[in-house]
Amino acid sequence: MDALIIIFVTGLIGLFVGMLKNSRLTLAVISVGLIAGFVSMYHINDYQSMFQSYQGLQFSRTQHMFALLAIALTLVSVLLGYTYFKEDEEHTSDYYGLMLFSLTGALCLIGFSNLFMFFLGLEILSIPIYVLVGIQKGNALASEASVKYFFTGSFATAIMLFGIALVYGSTGSFEMNEIQMAIDMGIMKSPMLNIGVLMMMAAFLFKVGAVPFHFWGPDVYQGSSNAVMAYMASVVKLAALFAFVHFFNFTFHSVTPFVSGIILFAIVVSLFLGYLSALKQTSFRRMMAYSSIANTGFALFAVLNQQYGEASLWIFMIGYACSTIALITINMIVEKETDDIANWKGIGYSNPFIGITLVISLLSMSGIPPFTGFFGKYLLLSSAFSNYLPVVILAIIASLIGAYLYIRLMVLSLSKDGEGHKLSINPTQTIVLTLSLVGILGGWLVLLIK
Amino acid sequence: MELIFLPLILGIIAFFVPTKWVRPFGLLASLSILAVSIVHLMNFHATDYVMLFNPAEAFPLGLTFKMGYDGLGLVMVLLTNAVILLILLANYNRDIASNAKFTGLTLLMQFALLGLFTSLDGILFYTFWELALIPIFLILYWFGKQDNNRALFKFFLYTLLGSLMMLLSFIALGYFSPSYSYFQLVQANFAGKEVAAALIMGGILFAFSVKIPLFPFQTWQAPTYTNAPMAGTMLLSALMLKMALYGMIKWMIPIGFEGLVYLKWPVITLGGIGIVYGAIIAMKQKDLKTLFAYASISHLGLIAAGIMIFSLSAIEASMIQIINHSIVAIGLFLAAGIIEDRLQTRNIEDLGGIAKVAPHFGFWFAVVTFISVSVPFTAGFMGEFILIKELFTAHWVIGLTAATTLVFGAVYMLRAYQGSMFGPSKMTVFADLTWNEYAVFAILAIAAVGFGLYPQIIIDFIKPSIKFTQELMSGDLTLTK
Repeated sequence: MDALIIIFVTGLIGLFVGMLKNSRLTLAVISVGLIAGFVSMYHINDYQSMFQSYQGLQFSRTQHMFALLAIALTLVSVLLGYTYFKEDEEHTSDYYGLMLFSLTGALCLIGFSNLFMFFLGLEILSIPIYVLVGIQKGNALASEASVKYFFTGSFATAIMLFGIALVYGSTGSFEMNEIQMAIDMGIMKSPMLNIGVLMMMAAFLFKVGAVPFHFWGPDVYQGSSNAVMAYMASVVKLAALFAFVHFFNFTFHSVTPFVSGIILFAIVVSLFLGYLSALKQTSFRRMMAYSSIANTGFALFAVLNQQYGEASLWIFMIGYACSTIALITINMIVEKETDDIANWKGIGYSNPFIGITLVISLLSMSGIPPFTGFFGKYLLLSSAFSNYLPVVILAIIASLIGAYLYIRLMVLSLSKDGEGHKLSINPTQTIVLTLSLVGILGGWLVLLIK
Repeated sequence: MELIFLPLILGIIAFFVPTKWVRPFGLLASLSILAVSIVHLMNFHATDYVMLFNPAEAFPLGLTFKMGYDGLGLVMVLLTNAVILLILLANYNRDIASNAKFTGLTLLMQFALLGLFTSLDGILFYTFWELALIPIFLILYWFGKQDNNRALFKFFLYTLLGSLMMLLSFIALGYFSPSYSYFQLVQANFAGKEVAAALIMGGILFAFSVKIPLFPFQTWQAPTYTNAPMAGTMLLSALMLKMALYGMIKWMIPIGFEGLVYLKWPVITLGGIGIVYGAIIAMKQKDLKTLFAYASISHLGLIAAGIMIFSLSAIEASMIQIINHSIVAIGLFLAAGIIEDRLQTRNIEDLGGIAKVAPHFGFWFAVVTFISVSVPFTAGFMGEFILIKELFTAHWVIGLTAATTLVFGAVYMLRAYQGSMFGPSKMTVFADLTWNEYAVFAILAIAAVGFGLYPQIIIDFIKPSIKFTQELMSGDLTLTK
């Protein structure tokens, strides 16, 4: 609870600090606030909060881990944005403020224990993002992306709300525990409940960007700035996936077997459509968007895994988010007028630090050990192995296509042709790259602690 | 632990060594790593099972991170360290050796290989297996011929597909064993589930047969070898392939022994086809390097078929052949490299009469050729002889097929030697061997003859570890390691 308030207040303070038009000061305030939020979240059980505890928002062990990850990833996204926002000092604080408000929503979405808090979190998460996507006012692509995301997103929210209403109508409660009990006792095995669950699932699939509700992805990624793209690929996806998994592993766990067919379909189609479309892209952002669709396909295995779903998702997301943020940072460094992939030619050969980061993050994305990406995929696939063997085999084939995609990019950027083409990296970008490297190389070590 | 992490540390340091110092640094680094492994050898008794890292309890998901070696592992560790030293020595007078990236990647590759040969945990084995792919990929990409991307992607994706199949098998193994510790995997009970065992074994075999390569999976090999730099070819054929053969002996067969009946004859058949196929194609080749690549398929087919027999003497002979093949591979690819270096061509038709201009090279190339065709008193003779005998015992048809390697091998090797070294001279200048090439050839020849006269030295190391594994499999041995 404290962490939530600290972050929200930091966002507000950031807006006022923004009046001084000093982007370095704003960054400092925001970072300090985020770190304070992280620390207070880390010690959540160690001290008596000064606020009354609220039943609707409680952090269990896994939820705690997810919340920490979300705050850390936001901090990285904020740092990532610094270089870009520096040139746009008028709006620096708007960016940071909105990002922090959105993080507040993400934390609600992670810690919810009733449907009311869940819906609140979803809205607080989404609305700042609609604005963030379109904040580059002069950019036609950004406006298109924003409008598209807003319309489709609010439609999805409406469907979600409808689903919530139907679930409430059939179980008679807003509390997650009571809903679960009502469903488990089987008193309420009504078609109304099933329709409600289906509608919520559709909205979730939209929010996480899985096929067949993926169409907004590439356009929105292309229109938004690098920092917002990184934020969407990491925090928004993390929170939405967590809520998805949390619903279907606990509250709806006795309904899940009935919808598992649909989820399996979504997994397979996301994987293949994502990777195959990504192969054809020439724009880096669109490629990342399709790759994120495919990775969502992997992450959805967690929904079907009652036992270790959330833990596997955590490991998977740390690998995926860190690699994506590293790649987006590199794209930011190499980007000229366009984000054409051809820009990447040879950058890794002449810039060793970029080269190493790039190789490690791409290998992690392709699922090659000993990087976190491999352990995430391994956990997700190994727990689905016994029940859904054919789908696991299809996923392995898809990940081979994915490996081709990433290795191709790696080969392009390690080409000798770029010799002598030095790029300038500024300190914040170095910090971002280092932090993501730490995540990729060390994230899986958490497995040894638990 | 220093045995494994020394190459990693030296490899990382190598990237920052100034160009002037890279050559001596690489040589000294590999020498010191070899010295460390010799210290390990000195403290080793053949029946030991030395644990390098042995955590008391399993971590979640059955990961144990056990590392250690027995006689078999130690032989491979020594082979790796010696071969890396020879490769760096053989390249000493070339531009590539002064490149910090090359030296660093080679040492990183050594780290991955040593890790693989000493890992006693399934997931750790898989990790090192994949890790070894990355340095060699970068070596081939940066130092190979330009515009060889197609061959490279083929190599990478083939290997990756194999690895993913192996991963599936390991995931499946998790359901049969409480942890991924090697000892528990070997004791996994497949009674009544022979088909499952065969499928798991098949997945692992897929990964191995891409790397060896067995007959239908060999298409990546020739273009990759041909486009690779000399050092890359040596790393691939003298070390990379040995990972797979070692994996068959140490991991695949002991783990899925119940399923061996289903896979034994298919693999032996494929090995037999590989022996004849590789030899016949090699006879028709004009490019020396491609010729040696196909010769390698032929030799390795024999070893793979021999391993599948899985009798004590077949395994011993296979190990002798594995070492012999490393010797032959370094020697032959060095010879091809020397010819290419001096004349910028490897086409046999453009060559001829080199022996007259460069008699030292002529002599040592002849020695390597004889080692390759396994004349008596070289290591290959013992190995091939026992392997063919074992295959004859299994079935006379396969024995007869395998025996053709003796004839065919002599045909393509002597043709290659004669075509390039004798006949009318087509060049006037051919710089003779430099000191480092001399040294490499001499070490190879001494090793080959040494192991040929006294193969027992290898057998003494391997016999106890094979026996130990067999006892472990039959469950006579209750083990808490």
